[in-house]
Amino acid sequence: MEEIKGAIALIGYGLAAIGPGIGIGIVVGNAIQAMARQPEAAGMARTTMFLGIAFTEALALIGFVLFFIA
Amino acid sequence: MIQILAQEVVEESSGIDLLLPDTSELIAGFIAFSIIFVFVWKWVIPAADKALTARQEAITGQLTQAETAKQEAESLLDDYKKQLAQAKSEANTIVEDARQAADVLRSNLVGQAEEDAVSIRGKARADAGAEMDRAAAQIKDEVATLSLELAQMVVAGSVDESVQRTLVDRYIDDLGNLPS
Amino acid sequence: MDVLILASECDPATEIICAPENVIELFEFNEALFSIGPLDFTRTVVLTFLAMFVVLALFYFGFRRVRVVPSKFGVAMESVVSFVRDDLAKGTIGPEGSRYAPYLLSIFMFILVANLFALTPGINFPLTSRMAIPLMLSIFTWLIFVIVGFTKNGLHYLFDIVWPKSVPLALRWLVGLIELVSVFVLRPLTLAVRLFANLVAGHLMLTLLLGSGWIFFAAVGDIGLRSVIGLPWFAFGLLIFVFEFVVAVLQAYIFTLLSAVYIQTSVHPEH
Repeated sequence: MEEIKGAIALIGYGLAAIGPGIGIGIVVGNAIQAMARQPEAAGMARTTMFLGIAFTEALALIGFVLFFIA
Repeated sequence: MIQILAQEVVEESSGIDLLLPDTSELIAGFIAFSIIFVFVWKWVIPAADKALTARQEAITGQLTQAETAKQEAESLLDDYKKQLAQAKSEANTIVEDARQAADVLRSNLVGQAEEDAVSIRGKARADAGAEMDRAAAQIKDEVATLSLELAQMVVAGSVDESVQRTLVDRYIDDLGNLPS
Repeated sequence: MDVLILASECDPATEIICAPENVIELFEFNEALFSIGPLDFTRTVVLTFLAMFVVLALFYFGFRRVRVVPSKFGVAMESVVSFVRDDLAKGTIGPEGSRYAPYLLSIFMFILVANLFALTPGINFPLTSRMAIPLMLSIFTWLIFVIVGFTKNGLHYLFDIVWPKSVPLALRWLVGLIELVSVFVLRPLTLAVRLFANLVAGHLMLTLLLGSGWIFFAAVGDIGLRSVIGLPWFAFGLLIFVFEFVVAVLQAYIFTLLSAVYIQTSVHPEH
């Protein structure tokens, strides 16, 4: 087998991005559903959505940092 | 020159260098942000508040101005209404006066006309009476003459003229004394 | 353009996209133009102060004169101020949010201008893609929400984080540990890295795409028909350019919103 070249950190970051990718999708999808059901509470739903994205995204961002460190 | 510097950078830096903050940039960012913060805190927010309150005041001022203008217009309208009412009542009194004057005039005229009519009628009656009297006298004369002549012709031979005459006169007087 | 060529040293005849030898040379400008004391005035430092002057000028000309009917620019600046103060500060933190409005307004405008430097012709470098600026701002936010948490709630602030009463006893220590790390380490770190990573990625994409396009176009004589390759790169780069504008505004908004939310969790820790 030929030698695999390149940074393994890239793969690590790619793996780290899967979970948050799915998570952000779920968060945003549910937030949109909430906004569609209760448009009068859209402001609160948006704030909470960004908060949820922030928490979920933290994992991807840690992966991003590790990519640079590794 | 840039080429050389870049090569130096490449040589001495690894991936983590991008994540570690540069001291000069940290200091510069701190200074810059502090200045912005103080400026925003001490000047921008008060200025924004001032702009907001000034706008509110201006709007309320405009509202009160509009209010006074409205009141002025209303008082003006009242004035006009009053003047109109006055003019109407004046016109009414004028018409009333005219009507009264016309009534007075008419009653005067009617009275005069009635008086005139009465006097004319009286005069006419008097004239008619006089005329009748005159006509009666004339008729009486003529009848006397005629009856005399007739009697003369009738009684030519029997009675003299003077007796006949007295007879006829008496007859005619009797006639004249009859109610006419 | 020297920098750009340097950044993407490639042979247009063989490559189809020009990648830099090392990403770092796109972001580090370490030659000091001049120095005052310990402060080296590199290109980034000069740009930091330029961003500061831009922010000050925007505010100054937006609120220079108090007028009943402001100019269009004045309306724009007033709407930014009212957006940050009413929607972000008061909307997120509550009635006492107006206390934090100056801070939130400062970070919003500073980050916005620093981000938009990425798209400004002649500068084309987002200040926030240097870790120093996002880290400095997120440390400020961290200091504010920690100090507010302790002054408003005393030591209960710490206990509520470490020993959350709403969680079952068996899991409480684990959740407490995760919360402790999350609040005091991950919050400021992710706040900084989110902004930094978004802007780094944006700057890289713009540089690669527009740089590749430019290099293929500029080398028309040498490579003949191959220069057509530059066209899609350039078009894609312009697309990303518009996208980066959205990212720049959105990231400034998210940084400010999250700062407000973090402060809110310290003001009302039970929520």
